[in-house]
Amino acid sequence: MEEYQNGNEGSFNSEEAENVVKECIENIVGAEDYSQTQVNKWTAGIVERCLTQLVKQGKPYKYIVTCAVMQKTGAGLHTANSCYWDTTMDGSCTVRWENRTMYCVVSVFAVAVV
Amino acid sequence: MEASDSYLIRPHHQHKFKPAIVKECIREIVRERLSGVQYDPDQVPELSRSLADCIKDKVKNAGFDRYKLVVQVVIGEQRGQGVKMSSRCFWDADTDNYAEDIFMNESLFCLAAVFGSYYY
Repeated sequence: MEEYQNGNEGSFNSEEAENVVKECIENIVGAEDYSQTQVNKWTAGIVERCLTQLVKQGKPYKYIVTCAVMQKTGAGLHTANSCYWDTTMDGSCTVRWENRTMYCVVSVFAVAVV
Repeated sequence: MEASDSYLIRPHHQHKFKPAIVKECIREIVRERLSGVQYDPDQVPELSRSLADCIKDKVKNAGFDRYKLVVQVVIGEQRGQGVKMSSRCFWDADTDNYAEDIFMNESLFCLAAVFGSYYY
């Protein structure tokens, strides 16, 4: 029977998650301009792709991924998070990305299961 | 010999994360703090942070023990731009849940989402 190893994993690796997220965003909206009709598809696509890539890593975490895409009109946007969890095991990472016509902010929250 | 309480690995129905209750919590706080407020780029970072903390404390006190909470607050200026926000979660659909609320006035919009994940 396969033994499940824990203990050396430590906390959430936010750098690795950041790379995964950046790659997902580039893939989906990298070369596009903001479009009202496509934005639904993009946010859903980014979120789903990030989630599948993170789950593929096989770590004992539950994931929550949120993505906000906003058109560039000079308006301001702020996001804030407050979390009640185990600071040694759980973690989050937020990636801000932009191109000529839009901003994209993706947040990943990882909550340990064990 | 003392009988010990058994360790629950699934919440009782009464102790499950109830989206309706949490949504009400969020709604009260956001309406109270943001009614009549104008978007001010200097104040909004602090405002969004304190809103997130407020909501987290209120939900904690609503009695969802054994739940880890993640609260996200997004505040943006209203300038006729298009915004879309979506989220996906990889969790135990039987025990975990989320609640969200949106508030808008003429100068800003605010979205607050609370995700609750059961700690086994």
